[in-house]
Amino acid sequence: MKKTTFIEAITEALAEEMERDEKVFLIGEDIGLYGGVFKATKGLMDRFGSDRVIDSPISEVYIAGGSIGAAMVGMKPVPEIQFADFITPSMDQLIQQGSKLRYRTGGQWTCPMTVRVCCGGDVGGGLYHSQINEQWFFSQPGLIVIMPSTPYDAKGLLKSAIRGDDPVIYFEHKRLYRWIKEDLPQEDFTVPIGKAAIRKEGSDLTIVSYGLMYHRSMQAAEALEKEGISAEVIDMRTLRPWDREMIFESVKKTSRVLLVQEGSKTGGVMAEISASITEEVFDYLDAPVTRVCGLDVPAIPFAPPMEHFFLPNAEKIAGSARKVMEY
Amino acid sequence: MPVKKTEAKPKVNKTGLSDDTLLGLYTNLVKTRMTDERLRKLFRQGRYAGTYFSAVGQEATTVGPTYGLFKEDIIAPSHREIGAAITKGIPLEQIFAQVYARSNSPDKGKSHPCHYGSRELGVIHPSSTVASQSIIGTGCAMAFQIQKKNNVVLGFFGEGGTSRGGWHEALNFAGIHKLPIVYICQNNLWAESVPSTRQSAVEKFSDRAKAYGFPGITIDGNDVALVHKTAGEAIERARNGEGPTLIECLTYRWYGHSEIDPADYRRQEEIDEWMKKDPIARAEAQLLKSGKLTTHKRESLVAEIEQEIEEAIKVCETMKYVEPEEAYNDVYSTAFPVRRDEY
Ligand SMILES: Cc1ncc(C[n+]2csc(CCOP(=O)(O)OP(=O)(O)O)c2C)c(N)n1
Ligand SMILES: [Mg+2]
Repeated sequence: MKKTTFIEAITEALAEEMERDEKVFLIGEDIGLYGGVFKATKGLMDRFGSDRVIDSPISEVYIAGGSIGAAMVGMKPVPEIQFADFITPSMDQLIQQGSKLRYRTGGQWTCPMTVRVCCGGDVGGGLYHSQINEQWFFSQPGLIVIMPSTPYDAKGLLKSAIRGDDPVIYFEHKRLYRWIKEDLPQEDFTVPIGKAAIRKEGSDLTIVSYGLMYHRSMQAAEALEKEGISAEVIDMRTLRPWDREMIFESVKKTSRVLLVQEGSKTGGVMAEISASITEEVFDYLDAPVTRVCGLDVPAIPFAPPMEHFFLPNAEKIAGSARKVMEY
Repeated sequence: MPVKKTEAKPKVNKTGLSDDTLLGLYTNLVKTRMTDERLRKLFRQGRYAGTYFSAVGQEATTVGPTYGLFKEDIIAPSHREIGAAITKGIPLEQIFAQVYARSNSPDKGKSHPCHYGSRELGVIHPSSTVASQSIIGTGCAMAFQIQKKNNVVLGFFGEGGTSRGGWHEALNFAGIHKLPIVYICQNNLWAESVPSTRQSAVEKFSDRAKAYGFPGITIDGNDVALVHKTAGEAIERARNGEGPTLIECLTYRWYGHSEIDPADYRRQEEIDEWMKKDPIARAEAQLLKSGKLTTHKRESLVAEIEQEIEEAIKVCETMKYVEPEEAYNDVYSTAFPVRRDEY
């Protein structure tokens, strides 16, 4: 056992899957010679050659679309989008081609591809290096959307994504890259897609989140515990398809729920979770389903106090939890 | 039907091709034309839904490059490439089934009448977003290169498609990596109602290849022999690792953008002038002269195709539509079934 950072877990998963299956290859900007702007692909070009670790020109449409084409003829591409802020041009390919390929061809062609997307704020990245943008993909049937929050899940889910037969958008929160460390097993393991995790059991309310916000929710839950409020904390891990059963069961048990997401509120992931809870387990609720989200503004602003103001944090989450409890 | 490139001692005629090859090309041209005209008629009779993109007048630009490809080669067509689909070997029965969208439809009625494709035959089903197939096709060529395969991709698009950013990104990438792909631009002078002079300031669309570092050439797209030879040379270069080529084929669509377009933005003289350059008449004249084709042989070819078309229509019109619940299928692999709401 050794302490592995979140980003090392990703590098390990990539290396192990490339070793295991020669169909796996990587393409993206600065991923080869440079090993990635955050070093997620460090050493992989030396190890696997420039045929399988391709330094792409600045062409987000092609990185996505070319990967889809390669997936169609027997490859397992793992393209990287350097920042979620720059994924917009890829969306033409991911949404119009990748998500619909199996559907629009009656199952003849498939798209086993894992798009790694570096995302998220709380790193002083400014308006164009802090965006999360997962909700654009969350709302698209045909795509799998994953956002891990621990090294174990980062590695296990990335392996499941690569081994699967569907197009996956795999979000890596950059704030977690070097902050979160964990002992990982030496042997090969995977984490199933579509299953959430209860990180902390509790009886008074359920807090649901993912990515960086899972860690903020956990900090809030620890503070609440000291005040005698027992929060159950669920880390969604996979956003699409999301683990309805686990969330509904928890809400049935606690009767109160707080949903936390980093991105803007309107039309976000938690809007869907909220509506589904209301549809499916309304009778169990003792308080309104409540959300803590980023501001409804175009993106995370740069100046540090504004970035802080934008983002949900442990205090905001705990504050909302208290209100939910008082209702 | 695709045949192997290697022909036994080709006796070359005036077109630079053997009579056999020219006859093969001609057969596909006629088959495409007859199918196309019939599909237009069926649309006007209200026999299927949606609309239809006719490629009448442009057949040589799609049949020419495709004829002679290997089964494992891939074509990446757009909306006006019925000729490529037929020449790559998609049976007429499947073409009609696609158009009718009944239960025998290759895509299970999901996409669009003109989105003929077949994984088995190496025809990527087109999608409606213009030029997307060039991008995806380039990805297939990238895979062939990584896999060290000897196969090539033909990417088709209209001149309008060359204005899209993603198209540029794909060709740029293909140039850098010398990918095994040949890009075929069907310049029919119009993109829906927009003339090619409003699509780009370059004189020739093939000039765009300069920016990507590979050869570009503009040719008469209604001369099927010339198109076949030019594409054949480019395909050989691509197979030999010498990289892509952009071939601009000058041609013209005789009818509207789709069957619901009266195309009244075009001058009648322009249409008349191009109809005189009918690619089929030109190939036919050569074959009749060389004696490879006789009026009798032509009649029996037409009768044979006519029968194939009739049978395909009969099959489709007796088919039911797929069950509406088919809408739930083929979203993900079996690992992730789609939730079904009940109302
Ligand atoms: C991205 C995109 N924009 C617009 C359209 C609508 N549209 C369909 S075909 C077409 C014209 C295409 O022109 P061209 O590429 O020259 O092909 P042609 O129709 O002439 O064969 C347009 C504008 C589309 N399908 N996709
Ligand atoms: Mg055109």
